[in-house]
Amino acid sequence: MVDRRRLRQRAALVGALVSLVLVLAIVLGSRGLRDFDSALLPYAVATVFLAFGVAYRYTVWVSEPAAWRLFRKGLSSAFSAESFRRAPTALPRMIATYLGFQKFLGARSHARWAAHQLIFWGCLLAAAITFPLTWGWFTFTASSATGPGYEMRLWGFKLFGFSSSSVLGWAMFHGLDLAAVLVIGGVGYFLWRRYHDRAATTGQRFAYDFLPLLALLTISVTGLLLTFSEIFLHGGGYEFLAVLHMVSVVFTLVYLPFGKFFHIVQRPAAVGMQLFKFNSRKAGEQLFTCKRCGTEIDTVPAVENLRGTMRDLGLGFDAWAEYCPRCKRELRGGAYLTDVKRGFK
Amino acid sequence: MMGRTLFIDPGRCIGCQACVSGCRECDSHRGKSMIHLDYTDEGRSVASQPTVCMHCEDPVAPCAEVCPAEAILITPDGVVHEADPTRCIGCANCVNACPFGVPKIDLEAKLQLKCNMCYDRTELGLAPMCATVCPTGALFYGTLEELQADRPGATVSNWFEFGDVRITTGAAMVVPRDRDDRPVPGGLPLVSVNGRDLPGAGATRAPGPAGGGAAA
Repeated sequence: MVDRRRLRQRAALVGALVSLVLVLAIVLGSRGLRDFDSALLPYAVATVFLAFGVAYRYTVWVSEPAAWRLFRKGLSSAFSAESFRRAPTALPRMIATYLGFQKFLGARSHARWAAHQLIFWGCLLAAAITFPLTWGWFTFTASSATGPGYEMRLWGFKLFGFSSSSVLGWAMFHGLDLAAVLVIGGVGYFLWRRYHDRAATTGQRFAYDFLPLLALLTISVTGLLLTFSEIFLHGGGYEFLAVLHMVSVVFTLVYLPFGKFFHIVQRPAAVGMQLFKFNSRKAGEQLFTCKRCGTEIDTVPAVENLRGTMRDLGLGFDAWAEYCPRCKRELRGGAYLTDVKRGFK
Repeated sequence: MMGRTLFIDPGRCIGCQACVSGCRECDSHRGKSMIHLDYTDEGRSVASQPTVCMHCEDPVAPCAEVCPAEAILITPDGVVHEADPTRCIGCANCVNACPFGVPKIDLEAKLQLKCNMCYDRTELGLAPMCATVCPTGALFYGTLEELQADRPGATVSNWFEFGDVRITTGAAMVVPRDRDDRPVPGGLPLVSVNGRDLPGAGATRAPGPAGGGAAA
């Protein structure tokens, strides 16, 4: 079994190393902090905490017997030269369908899929803009003293130039507003669902189910209010809103590894699991069938992986995994009527 | 253990499927039944058995233990919940590890589905749908005292035997009061009778007259 104390120490070490790498990347990417915007310091510090938290939590998670076995199988499937030769597009296709377009959510509910896509792409857009900005990796410099030309630079290298008065320029400077609109749309639906859908309300918990939605909503609304203040209030209340926005972002980043948001980091395991099973099927391997009725149970490596996991956990009935759920129930029912309540057969 | 819980008596089950229909009506998983109703010796007998989640206590929820995504929550009241849809990756570990054959899986939705003892009802003090609609009392929800007031000749067991392994659960089976202190058999190991595999009535090392048989 896992030694919890040693595991926490190892996770803390991994977390510290990842945070250190991020700090170095910030220093190097901002050209020795020359491009680092000190006004964004709290955000940058929060991302360092985020890196620590995610690495810590991830290490603890994958060290559990079931996750560890799947982690290794998933990685070896992803980096298997043989399976790449057999199906070179499988991995990118799965990444796109599971992680990008989240097809499985459509099978759960079309509305949830649509709302989740709004939140997903909104958050992705916001992260793609803000993380490199707070790290001092992205900089925008004027092409000339008179404008309206701007240049976007990454690590000091020019990526492209654009006019601030063009559509692209408007989109560049309002990217976060667009992201906020997407997120508010998705969050609005999920909040509605949290009050009206019994599938969601059953067993829901404030900290786990509501807090992430409220955090995203606060970030998005305060972010939009900053633009509102700039355009319509001539900057009125801007400083207060900026602090409110910053606090909500910092809180969310620090909270991310420990609540519902952890699924963001966890979800790639679905791709590893799917690829692990896909490779076996693609290789034409026979499926594992129920020892009693012959129903297909899963791929042979998947059943072996599960039995190994059960043995790791001291669950000594792993031989039962060789029977399909229906046979397990029928055998138990038969035993009950033979041994416990005789005469009812 | 055992405050208010489900007591299952397959001897009373008439296979009417009311529990299956009732379960499907539940708002938290409308249209999908989480209860199984099996004909244990189909073609030879009309005997049937309803299966709900037994809410394993020791070892605590094997389905949750084998879950690589930490998706299955066990609340302090001992209820083993269905997989958290945010986390479930649809690997089916829980489906194949559960010795009672309880969890189902929707492979397209990458989501496990299982009985959560109608948490939306039981947390309000109501009986689960299956026990509410069962016409014969094969599924009974209440305390042991309430059950025994209704059925003086019965007692219950939440102790199961799967080969060499013993499992205690939060839900329980009704057993005759004169039954000696043996666990309820899980069906393994199989015994071969006239070339036909039949469920074994206990572990090979179990005391009492019912052990033995060819291991599967």
